[in-house]
Amino acid sequence: MSPQRIASTVRREVWLLRDEDTVRHAVQKIIDVDVPALPVVDATGTLRGIFGEREFIGALFPGYVTQLGYAGFVPRSLERVLEKRPICAHEPVGKYMNTDHIDVDEDHSDTQLAEIFLHHRVLIVPIVGGGRVTGIVTREDFFRALARRFLELS
Amino acid sequence: MGVRMLFAILVFAAALAVIASERADRTKVALVGAVLVVLTQTIDQEHAIEAIDWETIGLLAGMMLIVRVTEPTGIYTYLAIRAGQVARGRPLAVVMSLALSTAVLSAFLDNLTTILLMVPITFLLADALDIDPIPLILIEVIASNIGGTATLIGDPPNILIAGATGLSFGDFIANLAPISLLAFVVVTGMLYLVFRKRLQIAPEARDRVLELDARKSIEDEAELKRTLPVLVITILAFFVHKALGVEPATVALTGATVMLLLTRQSVEEALRGIEWPTLFFFVGLFVMVGALEERGAIQEVADAIGSLTGGDRTAELLGITWISAIGSGIVDNIPFTATMIPVVEELQGGARDDAYWWALSLGACFGGNFTLVAAAANVAAAGMAERAGRPIGFIEFLKVGVPATLLSMLLATGYIAVRYV
Repeated sequence: MSPQRIASTVRREVWLLRDEDTVRHAVQKIIDVDVPALPVVDATGTLRGIFGEREFIGALFPGYVTQLGYAGFVPRSLERVLEKRPICAHEPVGKYMNTDHIDVDEDHSDTQLAEIFLHHRVLIVPIVGGGRVTGIVTREDFFRALARRFLELS
Repeated sequence: MGVRMLFAILVFAAALAVIASERADRTKVALVGAVLVVLTQTIDQEHAIEAIDWETIGLLAGMMLIVRVTEPTGIYTYLAIRAGQVARGRPLAVVMSLALSTAVLSAFLDNLTTILLMVPITFLLADALDIDPIPLILIEVIASNIGGTATLIGDPPNILIAGATGLSFGDFIANLAPISLLAFVVVTGMLYLVFRKRLQIAPEARDRVLELDARKSIEDEAELKRTLPVLVITILAFFVHKALGVEPATVALTGATVMLLLTRQSVEEALRGIEWPTLFFFVGLFVMVGALEERGAIQEVADAIGSLTGGDRTAELLGITWISAIGSGIVDNIPFTATMIPVVEELQGGARDDAYWWALSLGACFGGNFTLVAAAANVAAAGMAERAGRPIGFIEFLKVGVPATLLSMLLATGYIAVRYV
């Protein structure tokens, strides 16, 4: 009998965002569901990208911040950022989602997930089957499952 | 016209068309063109390798390494922030200060690097000043192309010309810096007048720029102390390279090597700063132009220009200047200059007349302001602005680029007429 895969223990119920949902709606949903990011799909249900903590920060702060190699010289407070960028709350998540398609199919391996989490700065990996998102694996859950097995064995 | 000459022309024209259309990566296009002319023996491999100007490649690689090693220290960010702060929120001073910093950095680094360093800081300053960043960025791009004209290392067309002719750093400064300075003042002044209504700064916003702590932009002071002297000595060495009897590429590569010895960056990390696609683009370009030369196409073009001008020197000088400006605006000033260099050599007919090279440089470098695709720095600025959520359209650039180019070209025409005719 093959050992149970770590990934099989960390799948969650799938909550999806539509690419036309507003940033405000998406942020509320991420907090409600308590995951770091959610898959974004279009009207046909096809995976288009991911919107999560990192993308929210990107939407909130001015676009040039990502182009600054270093920002230790900027004394700006969050209040001033919120004051200058309220409009992003009503913009679609499709504008800010990460469109790098990093997903796995149903029969992915633990090693494949480990490789993705090592090489890509993603917080979740969507599982796609038959053209639809059927689950997600969060990096935190993957780490916890991995750590539990590691501690049991050692 | 022989079949092979026709093939060399077709390959080159097709490559230029695809590069200008931006439908494919320019490096891939240049390499495909080079492979085609070598595979078909339009130019044999030995001559293809000889056609590559290693002086240009070495100079570019050396400067890329120097910039890569010094950039993480934060010194360029420091200079950009201070440029914004010394103006104390006065619109004309903000424009002049940022434009001058961009022009000077472009003269001693390169246009593309300067724009990559200046644009994010300009967005930050404009955000603090509550003004539209786009006028400032457009002015910087234009100042960068004008400033880069002043020196041998400032703009790729000049690097190409130096590689082909052996003209020294001092020659470039003596002949091109005066007109670059004049064009900078006049064009930047004109752009300020055009944009002044969009650059009104509220009194309360002026102090916000001063809140930026420029000293904190120095990320690694120890690394700065190690590498800054090398940067300064390298730039000074360019001024005296002829007296020292060394080529500019040797100066750049020596500076880069000393920096590699002194820096805490790993060799792998530093070498990642070399823009290999740019270097391979140059390699492909040199081979394609080599094929044109080998098959006599360049001679044909030079003869055609000669018969058009009737061999009149003034007509040839001004013709080269304006054709280069327009050609650079349509294709990209790098391939255009690479093609024009052998044409200009033919036009001179063995007699060395450096005025032709200054005409080519002024046309190609100032022509880099014509359109959004005319110079790599323009494309980079547009890309960064788009990622920052404020794209610059082709037409938006054209509205500024065309008058700026025409004005600087009129000044260049007057300068050539007064100084070289």
